Formats: sequence, structure tokens, C-alpha cells
Amino acid sequence: MMKTADVVIIGGGISGCATAYFLAKKGVKNVLLIEKGYLASGSTGRCGAGIRQQWGTELNCMISKHSCDFFETANEELEYDGDIEFKQGGYLLVTSTDKEHEQFIKNIEVQNRMGIHSKLLTLEEAKEIVPFLNTDGLISAAFHQKDGHLNPFHTTQAFADAAKRLGATIMTHTEVTGIDVENGKIRGVRTNKGDVATAVVLNAAGGYSQKIAQMAGVDLPVYSERHQILVTEPIEEILGPMVMSFSLNIYCQQVPHGGIIMGRGDENEPRDLRTTSSWQFLEEMALCATKLLPPLRNAKVLRQWAGLYNMSPDRQPIYGPVEEVEGFYVAAGFSGHGFMFGPSTGLIMSEYILGEKLTLPVETLTLSRIKQNKLVFEPSVV
Amino acid sequence: MLENTGIPTPEDIDSVFPSEERLNRGAIIVVECYKKIPCNPCYTACHRGGIRPFEDINDRPVVVEDNCNGCGLCIGKCPGLAIMAVDMTYSDTEALVKLPYEFLPMPEPGMIIKGLDREGNFITPVKVIKVLNTKAMDRTAVVSVAVGKPFVRQIRNIKVEPVEVRQADDDVIVCRCSDVSLGMIRGLIRKGYTTFDEIKRLSRVGMGPCQSKNCGPMVLKEISIMTGKSMEALTLGTYRQPVKSLKLGEIADEAVRGHSK
Ligand SMILES: Cc1cc2nc3c(=O)[nH]c(=O)nc-3n(C[C@H](O)[C@H](O)[C@H](O)COP(=O)(O)OP(=O)(O)OC[C@H]3O[C@@H](n4cnc5c(N)ncnc54)[C@H](O)[C@@H]3O)c2cc1C
Ligand code: SF4
Ligand code: SF4
Ligand code: FES
Repeated sequence: MMKTADVVIIGGGISGCATAYFLAKKGVKNVLLIEKGYLASGSTGRCGAGIRQQWGTELNCMISKHSCDFFETANEELEYDGDIEFKQGGYLLVTSTDKEHEQFIKNIEVQNRMGIHSKLLTLEEAKEIVPFLNTDGLISAAFHQKDGHLNPFHTTQAFADAAKRLGATIMTHTEVTGIDVENGKIRGVRTNKGDVATAVVLNAAGGYSQKIAQMAGVDLPVYSERHQILVTEPIEEILGPMVMSFSLNIYCQQVPHGGIIMGRGDENEPRDLRTTSSWQFLEEMALCATKLLPPLRNAKVLRQWAGLYNMSPDRQPIYGPVEEVEGFYVAAGFSGHGFMFGPSTGLIMSEYILGEKLTLPVETLTLSRIKQNKLVFEPSVV
Repeated sequence: MLENTGIPTPEDIDSVFPSEERLNRGAIIVVECYKKIPCNPCYTACHRGGIRPFEDINDRPVVVEDNCNGCGLCIGKCPGLAIMAVDMTYSDTEALVKLPYEFLPMPEPGMIIKGLDREGNFITPVKVIKVLNTKAMDRTAVVSVAVGKPFVRQIRNIKVEPVEVRQADDDVIVCRCSDVSLGMIRGLIRKGYTTFDEIKRLSRVGMGPCQSKNCGPMVLKEISIMTGKSMEALTLGTYRQPVKSLKLGEIADEAVRGHSK
């Protein structure tokens, strides 16, 4: 007998699991999430899991604030029997060019207007927060205490467990191999463990979202790019906030078990589905981190790994229906901020799928914006 | 599949399994009677209308989900051993499954024995909770066992052979690097996480400086004991390049030297 589902979600990362939760919570009985590996085996489990609300556009401030508010009570809301380990040590963003400094002044104005209590700091004030910060070549800093870090595995698991409790089905180690479209409508999905009949499919496949779209004959204007990251052995607690700089290309944060996680981007990274690690990254990362935060010289590197950034032309998410195919929805193109947007993503996609009014004004982030060339540029992305 | 081998496919099983929603409401039977045969004791055994009235003796039994309370009276009456009962509300991690059983020796409450799938393979240890074996039952006993929830769709039989489980050492630290106890590992396996990668990510086991050299084999052994998978079938999963414990300072100095050459 063929399986049927009201909604099939492809991808068991934060986006897919959060959407499964909101759909099940709103009473959709037969939600089926399909994940080819295990939960959070894609970008979600490989990410820095940093959460910030210091953005340059009103829209991103709203999406990230909504998510962050959710995370604050997520253990209770999702009735999780573990802990998502939300540490709100703040984000300290440092500037190193005049242009960046000017931009930060504007950003903070936007943030404060949106109820995000960030502030601009002098370098002396920044050193009160991180005493060993090397301020050579820096100009100023911005700080927001409510930003922080989560455990990505437990956060994803918490959404998945709650969704299951509400009746959703989650199939891991199951790969979607095809999508059936008939007369411009979704008919079902094929997997290596049998076919499923459905009229609604959400593409939440992260770095693989373009491949999934192709299965339905849709060309999604995104590509995937490798991003590398490393963690040191646990050391004594020395770093409260996430320290980050767009111009110096670094983010660096101590996680609750004591290890220091750090990463940076690289224009020359391969644009395919590779997630191997390079020695070059290790060197550049070490140079950058030990210059900005000298005590890190003594931290031993434990592991390095890589994951995929799924990039849209304006590095902003693509949320909503795919117009050419009825019943096909997409939540992808998150660049380096899809994890922190997770709870908002889940809410937004559940509203699109159920035809409800949008809580957050994300109409400008649909796929059609790209064809119409109405891109939404955000000044503060990594 | 069923026609050729007598073993039902996952689709066959899905077709007779109650919905998740019904399963979560409490005990109910699952009737794996796939062929039309002239037989109806399951129907006549039930006093509460748990099986829809047979119009023809060849009908396949249909469970009336709102009437059946999984009492299990019909289980021992079915000559085909086609019925079992499942109670998903038994505990957070385990379901209570009532199975028909006709062999000797009889299990006894409290024993930890082997749970078998439909092909007779050992899949998970189960704890015997109750054994009903009265004359009225015509020698088919009904054995209630507690089973990890992830195994509910696979379990169909038991084998009265003790399984090595050492409850006592739950507090033994398996991973010294990340301070993870055997109890935590067992808890995750019981929740259905049966690959090293999944367990690693939820518990931090194997993420310390030794990169699972010390704790990895112990975790695999535990997975093997609890799930019946052979050790050879298990792997340590994604292995992330260990960087011979170099200090960031050393790497940075090396980089500077390299560039100035
Ligand atoms: C190094 C790095 C650091 C990052 N740091 C941060 C950060 O600090 N903060 C932040 O907010 N974001 C960060 N990100 C970005 C973030 O990781 C992603 O935007 C986010 O995790 C995307 O989640 P997702 O659920 O959409 O995709 P994913 O987590 O990638 O999930 C997609 C899933 O789909 C599955 N899948 C793919 N194809 C199929 C198929 N055919 N059938 C079934 N399943 C399939 C995959 O296995 C995968 O599990 C970082 C990313 C990287 C790589
Ligand atoms: S388990 Fe009890 S209630 Fe259910 S059908 Fe059998 S005899 Fe009837
Ligand atoms: S008693 Fe068993 S074999 Fe007979 S009809 Fe009922 S379930 Fe089928
Ligand atoms: S003992 Fe587990 S990682 Fe070292």
C-alpha cells in the first residue's frame, strides 16, 4: 500500500524540523519529514550555531528577534527532555574601517527602532567586555547582550521530538530520489524506501535545495559554497561573548563545554557540494584569531570541519511557494544565517503552506523577487 | 513479497498498523491476517466489539479502533498467531507488547530475553513483564514484554535466551574526554539512536581530544548488545580530521614563516 502524506518536508535540518513542528502544532495530521542522513546531518549540525539580532535591515532584525525570543523559552515551549543550551553571552562586533564604523551607526539605529537594545562602544568599553581584545587597527565595536549560541543538535532534536509528539512522522536515513509533478501540480515524492503520494512538498534541503528543485523541474537560483570552521580543546572560561568582524572576516566564540569555535569565509571556496577541510583555512584562521585575541595562541586545535552555505543572489533566504509548480514550497538560500532564523522559518513556512496571514512581513523574500530583480540587500552578512 | 516468502513487507505491516494517533491513545491490537481464510475465533473471542462483525467466515478481520482496548483476550485464540497488542503509553521510552507464544521453555516475569523480528532475527533485548498461560488458552500463552519504542514495528516474537545487560554500570564513564556515562549512551540507544554519529552529536561522546579512540569501541559494543547489529556492521561514522593537537599560535607562526620564505 502506498504511503500518503498531507505535507512532505524534504530535509531534517533546523528549517525542516521547525516547519514540521509548527504544522503539527496547527493541527496538520499527516506531516512526513524525510531526511537522507540523520537529523542535523547537513549544515545545521556543522554550523557555528551563533544567534544574533544585530542586522542592518528592519526585516532581518524582525526575523532574528522573533527567533531569538522563541529560543529563550524553547525548552519549555517544545517540552524538550534535554537542553538546547542557549547561552546569551552577547555578540561583540568590531569594526576596522571607517566605512564599517559608519554602517554600524546606521545599523544600531535600525536595531534600536526594532526593539533590539544594541549599543555602539568605544574600544575602551569593548575591552571591559573582552579584556584581552587586541584593539590595534580597530575603530569601534557594537554589542548586544541577548545574542548568543545554541547547541544545534539538541535544538533540532527538540523541534523534531515535539513534532513527533504532535503526530508528525520523521523518516531518517531515507533519501528523496524524485518528485512527481503532473499538470503543474505536485503528485508525490519518490524515495529509496518507497513512494509517497502528496499534494504539498517543502524543499528544506539546505545545500541540496537546488538538486531537489531540479527533481520538480524547477531551476532554483542558488548555489552552495563550502565554509570551514574549527574548534579548540576545552580551555578555562575566558570568552563571554561571540567576537566577530565582517571586515577582518572572523567569528569566534567559546561554547559551554569550553572549546572555542571559530570560522571565516573565503571568496575562493569551491562552489560545489564538497565538505572537505583545508590546511590553508587552518593557517589563515590561526593568524586572524591569534592577532585579534592573543591568548588563543595557547589553545590547541581539536577538530576542523566544513559545511555548506546555500547562497541566493542577495544572500537572503527564499521563502514561499514556487509559482510554476502548485503545491511546491521552498525555504532555502540561507547563506550563513539559516540556523538563527530557524523558528521564524518554521512559522513562516507553516503559514505559507496553510494559506494563513504572515506574522512576519516576509513577502519580499519570495522566489519571484529574484526573477523580478527585486533583491533585498543586507549590509551585515558573513 | 508476502506471496513468495511469507514475510510481510514494511508496506504490509503499515497497512495493518493502527495510526500514530491511535497508538498514542493506549493499548490496541495489530492483526496480521493478510489472507482470506475460513476462520473467525478472533471475532468470537471479543466481548467488546473490538473486531468488526464477520459477514462471511472468509472475511479478513478489521479492528474497530475505538472499541478495542488491547486486553489481549483474542491473541491466544488465533490459530495463526497473527495477533499482538501494542501499548505505546507504557513508558516514555518503551512500549508494552503482548505476543502469542507456543514454545518451551516459558519465560518468567523479570527475565531479559531476546526480541525477534518477523524473520526470527534478534533485534533488541526485551523485558518480560507478564506471562498468561492458562488451560483455557489452549496452550497458546500470551507474553507481555517491554520493548524500546523504535522496535515496535519490527518485533514479532521472543526467544527465551538471556541477553547480557549489565544495568549496574550505568554510571561508568565511557568517554573520559567529554564526561559521558554508559547510562547516557544506553538512554539514547533506547530512544532509537543506533548510529555512532547520532549518539556522538547528542551526547558529545567521542568529541574530546582523543577523538573517540578510547570510547568509540565501547559505544559500538553497547549499540551491538542492545540492537543485535553485529559489530562489523557498525562504524565510527564521520571522522573529522584530527589536527595533531597543534596550538593556534604554532600554526600562525608556521604560516608567517611560510609566507616570508
Ligand atoms: C561552517 C558554517 C557555520 C555556520 N554558522 C552559522 C551560525 O553561526 N549561525 C547561523 O544562523 N547559521 C550558520 N550557518 C548557516 C546554517 O548552518 C544554515 O543556514 C542552516 O543550518 C540551514 O538549515 P537547513 O535546515 O535549511 O539546511 P540543512 O541543515 O543543510 O538541512 C538540509 C537537510 O536536507 C537533507 N537532504 C538533502 N538532500 C536530501 C534528499 N534528497 N532526501 C532527503 N534529505 C535530503 C540533508 O541531509 C540535510 O540534513 C553556518 C553554516 C556553516 C557551513
Ligand atoms: S484485544 Fe481485547 S478488546 Fe481488542 S479485539 Fe482482542 S479481545 Fe477485543
Ligand atoms: S483468528 Fe487469526 S487467523 Fe483467524 S481470522 Fe482471526 S486473525 Fe485471522
Ligand atoms: S574518551 Fe571519548 S573522545 Fe576521548
